[in-house]
Amino acid sequence: MRARAFLISAVLSFAGGCGPSERGGSGPVVLRYLSGPDIGGASAEIIKRFEAENPGIKVEMVEGPAATNIRENMYSTSFMGGEATYDLAYMDVVWVPKFAAQGWLRPLDDWFTPKMQTEFLPGDVLGSTYGGKIYRIPVQSDGGMLYYRKDLIAQAGLKPPKDWPDLVRIAKKLQNPPALWGYAFQGKQYEGLVCDYLELMWGNGGRVVGEDGKILVDSPEAIEALRWLVDAVRKHGISPEGVLTFQEEEARHLFQEGKAVFMRNWPYAWNLVNGEGSPVKGKVGIMPMVGAEGRGGAATLGGWGWSISAYSKHPEEAWKFAQFATTVEMLKISYEKGGIIPARRSLFKDPEVLAKSPHFKELYDVLTDARPRPVHPMYARISDALQLHVSAALAGQETPEEAMKGAADEMRAFIERRRK
Amino acid sequence: MRDEGAQVWINWGFAVPALALMGLVNLIPIGQAFYFADGFAALPVDARLIESLKNTAVFTGLTVSLELVLGLAMAMVLLKPFPGRGWVRAAVLIPWALPTAIMAMAWQWIFNAEYGVMGDLFFRVGLVSSPQIAWLAKPGPAMAACVLADVWKTTPFMALLLMSGLATIPDDLYEAAEIDGAGSVRQFFVITLPMLKPTIALAVIFRAIQSFGVFDLVWVLTGGGPGGKTQMIALYVYDTVYRYLDLGYGCALTIVMAGCLLVMSGFVLLVTGREEA
Repeated sequence: MRARAFLISAVLSFAGGCGPSERGGSGPVVLRYLSGPDIGGASAEIIKRFEAENPGIKVEMVEGPAATNIRENMYSTSFMGGEATYDLAYMDVVWVPKFAAQGWLRPLDDWFTPKMQTEFLPGDVLGSTYGGKIYRIPVQSDGGMLYYRKDLIAQAGLKPPKDWPDLVRIAKKLQNPPALWGYAFQGKQYEGLVCDYLELMWGNGGRVVGEDGKILVDSPEAIEALRWLVDAVRKHGISPEGVLTFQEEEARHLFQEGKAVFMRNWPYAWNLVNGEGSPVKGKVGIMPMVGAEGRGGAATLGGWGWSISAYSKHPEEAWKFAQFATTVEMLKISYEKGGIIPARRSLFKDPEVLAKSPHFKELYDVLTDARPRPVHPMYARISDALQLHVSAALAGQETPEEAMKGAADEMRAFIERRRK
Repeated sequence: MRDEGAQVWINWGFAVPALALMGLVNLIPIGQAFYFADGFAALPVDARLIESLKNTAVFTGLTVSLELVLGLAMAMVLLKPFPGRGWVRAAVLIPWALPTAIMAMAWQWIFNAEYGVMGDLFFRVGLVSSPQIAWLAKPGPAMAACVLADVWKTTPFMALLLMSGLATIPDDLYEAAEIDGAGSVRQFFVITLPMLKPTIALAVIFRAIQSFGVFDLVWVLTGGGPGGKTQMIALYVYDTVYRYLDLGYGCALTIVMAGCLLVMSGFVLLVTGREEA
């Protein structure tokens, strides 16, 4: 295994260039991490304050590419080689099981106590946990939700939808394609499609993996949820066929130009659709995603947080920084400068924050109910099987039954193979 | 005699650095792929492997044959002197010189369902009733879009290879054919094509290997969708190694890929070399 790890790191460092080399000797402890571009300079500000309070520690932020899957690979590459390049990892919630199962992260249970954990949103904590241990302290919370045009709905004398059938009814009534579509979502074959689908599936009482690790995606609830999504495109025509090429931004553009009544998206879209020059400014409402009749909807949890590398030579200093960066004060800076939605509960009741961002009230309802995607070391494969078959159903290549049975068979096959 | 023997050894001596380098970058990684590979039993029942091999074969077959026909036509035009030929030659190479990932983004906009130029063109010509066509949302058109983008990009490269072959055909052959009364169509089939055969074989193998390993274009343009209908083998290998962290199975997949390429190259050589043998 060691030889293999070395081989991989040797090969990959040719391909991708290796990180800066280790520094020895005395002098300040240097903590290094990789993140996306530091939009708004929030991270730089936090680092500056931390270094002022902790003279013996320097924090080096490596601003990597904005594409999160590339950063995931950069971290994987470094950890596969057992390198101490990064002391901290700024982690997407979906990386946690994979990285933790590989032994790349240091459990934080000694420092991040259950009492401290209750100060954060429950989904973010749950998504940071793997095999009964906690591996990440949450920074940013993110959850899928439903955006709607409150002006159009009010004009028609209607109310926001209670459940999925209601959404379809309202969308059909108000839409006038191609000038105005009913429902925009993320339909391209990629991770976002899984998030959108899971919300409907959870909202219909379905699950991907049971408590005992059994694959449940071919349950009647899961198949019915897929039929909802397929019918939206192919039967009711409330979503354009082009939705099969949509990621977040394509959906937002359609909605922001006033061409859709409903949109499923993440909180980031709020500031943009209400920004200067947006045709739908002030005409938008948000609410948790809808589900089956008489059942609340569900949100897919996204979000970011700090983990500590198992290979770091300075785990204590790294924890010091992670803790500092997740204090109320620093999370406020992150939100004000970088638009990062905090994962701490208290900020949603903070009068100062609420005064500037009244939508935090609705956002709190969405985020407290947000659920992590299946916490499974093979989540990447599970997601790919779902992406492929859900996409095939949307394209009319497979019926919802065939799609979910196909996905389930595929998942069972590779989980079985890994077990051998 | 003794001198000649010594010469052979000296010649080999000169080749050693090159051979060592080849061994280092070819043989060792190939050996390691075999060493680490595992999960072979799963290969024949792996639905995703079969699907992606099928897609890759369709993509390779279509792109290479279209590029060969178009590239040959382009090469013959560019070989004939005409005013401004230098500029035209340079201009033709532009698509090939542009970075693939960026061009794939551009094609994504061209095929965009809402604002795409391609839908608008079809609409203006009167082939469709609405300019909003979701090209990349349907399996057939999505594959066609990948093929078109690749043909657009790589035909100049094919033309360049074929031009070098065309330039080596002696003019007196054409002159002799002219005297014998052969028209230009006949000249093409009895002189140009047979004389160009070795170059064509080389160009086709070259392009087929590249095309079979296509990654960036498809990754950006469709991401393998919709429904995995443009999923290529290289995308599957990437996912297996980097995202599923399953190095053993990834190695097994690359061995399958290399086997396909060997068979393909052998077939091309067999077809083009038959008459000489």
